[in-house]
Parts: sequence; C-alpha cells; structure tokens
Amino acid sequence: MSTAISYQQACLNRASHATPPLRADDLSRAALLAQYHPDHAADASTLLQIGSSRGQPCHPLLAGLLQSNALIDGFDLAGAEQRSTDVLVLGGGGAGAAAALTAARGGADVMLASKLRLGDSNTVMAEGGIQAALAASDSPQQHFDDAMRGGHNCADPQLLAQLASDAPGVIRWLIELGMHFDLVDASSDGGKLRYKQAGGCSQPRILSYRDYTGLEMMCVLRETVELEPGIQLLNRCPVVELLSHEDGSCAGAVLYDLEYQRFIVVSARQTILATGGCGRLHLQGFPTSNHYGATADGLVLAYRLGAQLRDMDAFQYHPTGVAWPQRLRGGLISEAARSAGAMLLNGLGERFVDELAPRDVVTAAILRECAAGRGIVRDGQQGVFLDLRRLCGPDLPALASQLPALQHLADKCGIDPTREPMLVYPTLHYQNGGVVIDSQGQSSVPGLLCAGEITGGIHGRNRLMGNALLDILAFGRRAGRQAARQAQAARNKSSLPPLRGGIEHVYRWQRQLALAGLDASQQAPLLYPGQARLTLHRPASARA
Amino acid sequence: MSETICISIDGKVMAAQPGDSILQTRLHGPDAVTANIGCMGQGVCGSCRCLVRKAGERETVSRLACETVVEDGMQVSFIDYYLPDHVHRYRPHDLRDGWQALPQLQQTFPETAHCRHCGGCDRACPRGIPVQQGIALASRGELQAAAALFDPCIMCNLCTLACPENIRPNHVGLYLRRAQAIQNLRPGDLLRRLEQQARGQLAIDTTAHLARSES
Ligand SMILES: Cc1cc2nc3c(=O)[nH]c(=O)nc-3n(C[C@H](O)[C@H](O)[C@H](O)COP(=O)(O)OP(=O)(O)OC[C@H]3O[C@@H](n4cnc5c(N)ncnc54)[C@H](O)[C@@H]3O)c2cc1C
Ligand code: SF4
Ligand code: SF4
Ligand code: FES
Repeated sequence: MSTAISYQQACLNRASHATPPLRADDLSRAALLAQYHPDHAADASTLLQIGSSRGQPCHPLLAGLLQSNALIDGFDLAGAEQRSTDVLVLGGGGAGAAAALTAARGGADVMLASKLRLGDSNTVMAEGGIQAALAASDSPQQHFDDAMRGGHNCADPQLLAQLASDAPGVIRWLIELGMHFDLVDASSDGGKLRYKQAGGCSQPRILSYRDYTGLEMMCVLRETVELEPGIQLLNRCPVVELLSHEDGSCAGAVLYDLEYQRFIVVSARQTILATGGCGRLHLQGFPTSNHYGATADGLVLAYRLGAQLRDMDAFQYHPTGVAWPQRLRGGLISEAARSAGAMLLNGLGERFVDELAPRDVVTAAILRECAAGRGIVRDGQQGVFLDLRRLCGPDLPALASQLPALQHLADKCGIDPTREPMLVYPTLHYQNGGVVIDSQGQSSVPGLLCAGEITGGIHGRNRLMGNALLDILAFGRRAGRQAARQAQAARNKSSLPPLRGGIEHVYRWQRQLALAGLDASQQAPLLYPGQARLTLHRPASARA
Repeated sequence: MSETICISIDGKVMAAQPGDSILQTRLHGPDAVTANIGCMGQGVCGSCRCLVRKAGERETVSRLACETVVEDGMQVSFIDYYLPDHVHRYRPHDLRDGWQALPQLQQTFPETAHCRHCGGCDRACPRGIPVQQGIALASRGELQAAAALFDPCIMCNLCTLACPENIRPNHVGLYLRRAQAIQNLRPGDLLRRLEQQARGQLAIDTTAHLARSES
C-alpha cells in the first residue's frame, strides 16, 4: 500500500506556496490513462459470453448482471393487473420526462413509470450545465469536433452531429417550458446567455442556471409532466421485466407496484427505456456521485430482450468527488469550480495537472498522485486538495452568489473555502456506453426505444461536461416523437388495444444461460442497491 | 469510530454511527429502502423528508434526512410523498401573455389570497426560504419579487404539507418563476442561432475529424 501525506503537513506545504507551481509532466496523456485510469485496470474488463453483444468487452460486475436470470416467471403474470397504452416510458429522469412530454404532444396516450418518485434521478443532481454552441465565434461544427475528440474519436458521427445540431432547439424548448438560464448583460438586445468553459472544449459553451442547472431543469420538467393530462404517472413502480411478442419485438413491460405489492402488466405499442446509468454499482470499488436508483436496470432488461450494447467497458470517473468527510464521500463537486479557477494540489502543495484537461486525464492524474504517495490523508480518507483560493478574493463576488451549491456543500463539510481547501478523490460518475440506438432512439429490438444515459455511442468513450443534459433532451424528444409516430401508424392499422406479449424471451435466455454454463441463480435487475434486498414474492401461501 | 448511538426511525430503534446522516443510518437497517431517497446527500431532490425530534426536546421539526447528522436519542419519521387532489392544472402555453399575469394567478391558485400568516410554511422549509413573504408578495401583485424568493426551492413540498389553507406555496412560486422565463427570456444569441439554422446554415461535416486524425 502506498503512503500518503498527513492533512496537517499538506496544509503547511500548501501555505508555503503563494503561487503553486505546475509540475512538468513526464508521461504522455495516453500513457497516463493506460497506467492509472480505472477502465484500464487488469480486472476492469471481461468478454460477454451470451446475448447480442457476445464477445464484446464489458465490466465484469456489469457482465454478471447482464448475464443473469429474470426476477419473475410466467406464474407472476397470471393474476396480474392488465393495462395498456400507446407509449410506455420507463424512468422518470430528464430523458423520460422529455420523451413522455413529446410523445403526449404527438398525440399518444402515455404512461410513465418510475422506480423512485418522478425526478429523483441523476438529472436533478446536475450542477455544471448544458452545452449549446450559440456564440457568434462558435458553431455546431466546433461543438461536434470537441466532443468527437473528447470521446477519443469513438462516437457515432451521425448521433453526435444530431446532438450538436439539436442544441439550440432544445434550449428554446426548455425556455418555453419555463426554465431559467444565467445571462450576462441582461439589458442589451434581449440579453446574452452566459457561457462557461468546460474541460476539453475549444471555447466556453456551457449554459447554466447558477450551479444547480439540473434542479432547475427537473423542477420544470416534473411540474409539466405532472400537470399534463395526456400522461398517466406511476411513481414507485419499477420495471422488473420487458414483454415480447413472438417475433422478438417489444410488447411492453411488467411493473412492480411497491405500494400494493403486486405486478402490473402493461401492454404498449412502443416502449421507451430511460432508466439512466449504473453508478450505484460502485465499479472498481469507487464511490459514486449517482442517485440511489442508478443500478443499470434498463440495460439488463434491454440486453435480455436482444438489444445490442456498446462500450460497456468505458466509464467516467469524475475527478472531484468529496473525499472527506466520510458521510458525504462520492458527492460531486462540479467541474464549474475548476472552470472558475479552483486548483488541484497534491500533498506537496504542487499543481500536477491542467485542471481543465479532459476528465479522464485529470482523474488518472489524481490517482497517480495518490499511488505515488503524494496524496493527502484525513481521518483515514485519501485524496488531493481542491483549492478554492482563486474563487474567494476580496474583489470577487462571494462564493455563495457565484456557486451557491458549492458553498452549500462546503458548509456541510464544515469548511470555510476562503481558508481551507476541500479533499477530493475521483468518483464513479457516468456510463459512457450503453444500448445502441439509431437517429430516432430506436434500439435493435423493434418497438423498443432508448434515451439518455442508458444509451451508448453519442459520447464515444468519454463524455464532456454538459453534453449529457443535452443528450437526454435531444434524444429523449427524438424517441418520444418517433414512438408517437409509430404508435399512430399501428393504431391506423388496428384500433384494437395493443396485443398482450409474454416472456418467451426469458425462457430463451435461460436456455442460453444453461448452454454457456452460467449461474442461473443470480437474478437482475437489482432495483435497489445496498444489503437489504426487496422481495418481490410473498410466500406462496399468501398468494391469492 | 467505536462509540455507537441509538436513534429511532419510524418507530424502530437502530444503532447509528456518529457522523452519519439519518439516511445512511436507515440504509444500514434491516429493511430494503425503496422510498424517500434520491440524491443521497446533495440535498436537491427533496424526497428524504422527515420529522425529527431531538432527545429531551418537545419541538418536532421537518428536515432532509440526507443532510441531517444523527444524534443520540433522535426520533425520526419519514413523510411519504403524495399528490393532493386539488391540483390546479395549467400549461406552459397558458403563461405566455404577461398582461394576464395577475388574473391568471388568481384563477389558477385562488387560495393564495387566503393566507393566514400562520408561518407554518416558513418553519417547514429546510432551505430557509421566507415562503410566507413570497405568498404575501404574490397576492399583492409583486410577482417578480415573489418569484425571486423561490429561486433555491427544491420542491420538497414540505410547505405545502404545512399549509392549512391548501395554498401549495412552492407550486405558486414555481408557477411565477416559469411565467417569468416564458415571458421574458429571449436571448439574442439564441435567436440568431435558431434563425441561422432555419435558413439551413451551419450543417455539420461528420467526416472532418477523420481527415484531421489522419494528418
Ligand atoms: C451529480 C451529477 C452531476 C452531473 N452534472 C452534469 C452536468 O452538469 N451536465 C451534464 O450534462 N451532465 C451532468 N451529469 C450527468 C447527467 O445528469 C446524467 O447523465 C443525466 O441526467 C441522465 O439522465 P437520464 O434521464 O438518462 O437518467 P436519470 O436522470 O438518472 O433518470 C433515471 C430514471 O430512471 C428511473 N429508474 C431506474 N431504474 C428503473 C426501473 N427499474 N424502473 C423504472 N424506473 C427506473 C430512476 O428512478 C430515474 O427516475 C451529472 C450527473 C451527476 C450524477
Ligand atoms: S419552499 Fe417549500 S418546497 Fe421549496 S424548499 Fe421550502 S419547503 Fe420545500
Ligand atoms: S402555511 Fe399557508 S397559510 Fe400559513 S403562512 Fe404559509 S402560506 Fe400562509
Ligand atoms: S435524498 Fe435528495 S434531498 Fe435527501
């Protein structure tokens, strides 16, 4: 085990540098990533053995869930309540809300089911902001180029081009729903939006509302969904399995109603998965910034039904998670802090990386400092300093008005940011890969669309700050529009309610598990993290 | 840390680690946690609402469980989220005409005028928002000022629960904030970009990066 420098010593070292020097680097970025990024660790990847992405690399923990058995069997469906709808949206974050609103506006009957309450998601937690190339000196092309480079040239060019082109329309849509954005110079010419710099970008392009953009966005989206008569909302009804027709297409989903402890079978003409990412799996033992429900549920279900996945071995570890106090470990300190001038210092008081390099590079650099014994330890927690000195001068606006969420966090840590630095350590933040989709959000399974963090391809192998909030709205709206169109086409063919499906695909999957010699006793999706497991089945004697 | 303390959550006594939050303590308990949880410490989702009474105190206060550190002898009960029946529906589209702002507010939230100034909402708010003052400003027609007060609201609905007149103060606040953006926010740079796109300019060349990475 490596050693680390004590907190007291590190504070002294910091104080001895009025202007901390930036240490020259002896490793190329590629070498730094190869040696220190968690994705490159020897135990961070395995090959999928069954399913439509067989042979592709995947994180072992996730592979275990992807190649596991269903939570339900045919018996569970027998007595379950039946419902039907045109479009079933699964997941109540930004992607789900945008898809549901657009589908309803497109004339479809919509049902939105969410595991937690609508809005309790990663979206509400986003602080930094959303990218949109609006400056006269900027263009969608430059947005595209930055994201392509940031994602190591692995993004799907078509999807990425749509992302960059959709941005202005998305911002307009948000304003039309009542979302606020920060302005500079509000007095002239209708005002100009404030742009912040993101790591890895050729120019400032992040739009935000203070440092709680996601909260502002989700409050508006949630209220709009709740007040929309065309959307039926089911809170606390996680999806536990998808339904299939004989031809392999998606027929809807099985929900578990937590309040009444029973299954609901929803037949749908089109199903949109928007269940987000997998941060709560704590890959590679890292803490996470993600909300409680981020357990890869949708990914597991889509794969079992036959959807293709990509880049399931590429994750984003955000450089600045809280490392101390323990109670707040993994919580995010937004990149907005570094964008505004916060510095990263090791235990010797040196800067060791350009703070605005791409996130994977900064993360690898922090892990290197810790591995080399230049990390800092406080009450058993290791990390490096995030020094806010440059944000807290006498002639600067108070931190509380610049970055209120950061001030709130510093208060919770019991830290006075004008004097004391915060201890930070990388935190598992984002799932770069996911379900393969086309330009309208359709997966390789007919009738199944996906939007948001559950999808792969838009960001390649590393996402830039602000492109996830854009992605969930751009593609959430595309998926909603497409689902409404398809549902309408199906209704034109037959006015009968959608056909009820079954779980034939689960039986096929079980045969594959057996053939590959995989353990069929492991069940997924997980639904809830932590040691206490939810039991979906009452004892047989109690079943009606 | 060796010392452990005891708190009671929804009537069950549990051992807790000093320094942990109420929410963390509940997660270490024997039951699967499926509600009243979301962001787990960021304090933005508003789902972990609870009532807290400290040992030896009479007063019960509303708190966010993920932001509240446990103390020995604390009693906690979580509050379920519900949607009341008397929700007043409106659509963003309805808010476009600023000239109708006052009559529309009165129509959509008629209870606003009935505020008793009991201060229940102020006491409930974990964010320290002067909710009652916001409602007073709104009913006086000072809509911008009222909206501004609700800026840091996380929509935890505790003020709505506390209000004896069914005013739903946070929803009034959000309504006013939305109206403000819908009516006033017309950034020049966004208008220009939308217009350029409408004229078919600014298409993206998806192959440009290939040439660059080869060179
Ligand atoms: C702390 C933090 C800060 C961030 N900051 C930024 C930022 O500044 N800019 C940016 O662009 N991106 C940011 N991101 C990333 C971005 O917020 C997310 O990628 C994005 O919000 C994901 O949206 P989503 O709708 O796909 O998923 P989520 O918002 O996570 O929503 C997933 C939804 O699915 C539901 N769900 C899960 N499982 C099930 C199930 N089995 N059945 C039914 N429902 C289910 C959940 O309850 C939830 O409602 C941040 C992320 C975090 C965690
Ligand atoms: S104003 Fe109401 S909803 Fe908003 S934070 Fe305060 S108590 Fe919660
Ligand atoms: S709780 Fe309701 S009635 Fe009492 S002061 Fe607040 S808004 Fe007025
Ligand atoms: S869990 Fe989100 S506010 Fe507490």
